[in-house]
Amino acid sequence: MTQEFKELDVRPILRNGGEPFEAIMTAVGALQPGQGLKLFAPFKPQPLYRVMDAKGFDHDVVELDGGDFEVRFTPRLEEAVALSENAVSPELWAEPSVELDLSDLDPPEPMQRILAEAETLGAGEVIFAVLAREPVFLFPELTRRGHQWVGNFDRDGSAYRIMIRVGTGAVNA
Amino acid sequence: MPGATLSRWTMSYFAAALICLIAGLAMTASGFGYPSVPMNDPASLVVVHLIAIGWLAQLFAGSLLQFVPVIASRQLRSPHLALPILLSAMAGLLLLLTGFMGLADVAPLWTWMLPAGGILLTCSFTSLCWTVVGTLLPARPYTLPAKFVILGCLPLIGAALVGLLFTLPLSGLTGDPYLIDLVLAAGPSHAYLGLVGWMTITAIGVSYRLLAMFLLSPEKTRRTSRTVGWLMAGALAVVICGIVLDGTGSPAGWPLPAAIAAAGLAVLLYALDIRWIYRERKRKAVELNVIASLVAVGMLVACFVLFAASILIGNLAGMVMPVAYLFVFGWLTGLGLGQLYKIVAFMTWLEFYGPVLGRMAVPRVQELVNERRGAIWFSLYFGATAAATVALILDMPDMFRWITIAQLAAVGALVFEFVQTRRLAMAPAATRLPAGIAARRLFLPSFNGRSS
Repeated sequence: MTQEFKELDVRPILRNGGEPFEAIMTAVGALQPGQGLKLFAPFKPQPLYRVMDAKGFDHDVVELDGGDFEVRFTPRLEEAVALSENAVSPELWAEPSVELDLSDLDPPEPMQRILAEAETLGAGEVIFAVLAREPVFLFPELTRRGHQWVGNFDRDGSAYRIMIRVGTGAVNA
Repeated sequence: MPGATLSRWTMSYFAAALICLIAGLAMTASGFGYPSVPMNDPASLVVVHLIAIGWLAQLFAGSLLQFVPVIASRQLRSPHLALPILLSAMAGLLLLLTGFMGLADVAPLWTWMLPAGGILLTCSFTSLCWTVVGTLLPARPYTLPAKFVILGCLPLIGAALVGLLFTLPLSGLTGDPYLIDLVLAAGPSHAYLGLVGWMTITAIGVSYRLLAMFLLSPEKTRRTSRTVGWLMAGALAVVICGIVLDGTGSPAGWPLPAAIAAAGLAVLLYALDIRWIYRERKRKAVELNVIASLVAVGMLVACFVLFAASILIGNLAGMVMPVAYLFVFGWLTGLGLGQLYKIVAFMTWLEFYGPVLGRMAVPRVQELVNERRGAIWFSLYFGATAAATVALILDMPDMFRWITIAQLAAVGALVFEFVQTRRLAMAPAATRLPAGIAARRLFLPSFNGRSS
């Protein structure tokens, strides 16, 4: 995939004695998901690297002919996280009380194991499971039973990780 | 919402498709249509379209409605179209077949029947593409199966539109010389668009996902798989050029053989991919549906070997029909029956046991089928198909009809197995559900809102 960049030249701002930080942050805020930022500046904007790193961007610097610099900020590839529509603040969930490695099981056994485990846990307890595939048929069943979940693939797409927060009362169909 | 639910009408698609397959085989066995009469006889067109649209297209449509959400991991676009798509296809097919019977002097002929059937079928297939492509397009980045399924939709629309154009001169509605030329020349290209363009490209794409899943094999996009896609796309472009040439009154002989050669190369690469998926599998025990699929892939390769051999020995005309037969019954039907064996069991398991998973003892999916018995029927089916191909090559139509009866028996037995699976008849006693739950939902959906 070729990286798309939005370009921003802060040299005129600096030449006029202005402060480019705000313009840069405005540009960063307006980036599309996956889009990078190409910044032209008369010096290496060292302080910016940490700010952008915290926002999930890597950088590389190219020195241009006239002594100026082109800095490319590339968004790090984060695997998209999927979550159930009933999921509330996953970052506040308890530590998992059960961890399951189901990556060697044939589908649909992982689904069966997870649902069975959820039956034994109390409301608010969390299951963490690793599977070989995205359990597409499990998702609706979890939601239907009132459980919340978040999940994503690992970086190379070889395993699917899911966190499930057991719900209070199962919503039986 | 991420995830996939059961497709509400897919079992109805499968039921309609299997009825058409049985009817088509019964007609052939009784001596109606090819090979008892020439291929371009209207009676043959009845049987061909009963198999192609009634059986294969409905099988593919029903499967796509279930598996496109799995490929995209999102809900189907416009799921309420599922029933209208099936009904318009069935109504369109009925009109088309009655029209052909009119041409064959078996039934009265009304001029409007063929075009009306064509319009209904085109609407049905276009709506199918709308839900399929509409579900897949927003699900970026596209996986390999998604790309193949999207690519396959183009020739499906093409096949439907060309077929619709055919109905105009065939029904006598117009005497336009260009359309008459088109009918005379573009029949094989029409078949290519449907059987290779749509069905084979789709089947290849979906099998990359399904076989990797059933065999617990890593799912990678190999360079060979991408080449398969490009070769198939190139072949499609050539076929479409050929159709345009046919329609402009300057038919050329080269486009279709060139396209088949490119598709043949693609098929060899595909067979290599399947070999890799099989070799890298983590699961050692191989289930019957995978074995049946592998036999079907073998028959697909055999089609192109026969095709190449017939060109080398200079007998292409004599081999076209046996090869086309092996393609439809060995490859597409063989693969379809093999996958149905698993899909019906899995969907049944999810439908009846999904709601109680983890709350009571449930059978494994494999316990809903009897593989030992199924293996006998699949052996009979594939053996009969291979024998029937030989009978066609040796030009023995009577022998062919007898073999078709064996094939019909095998399909009938498999349908019985599917029904047994649907009725949970083979589930271990400890996991039986209250009597009557399964019996009521043989091929119609439940209306409790679980499926979509």
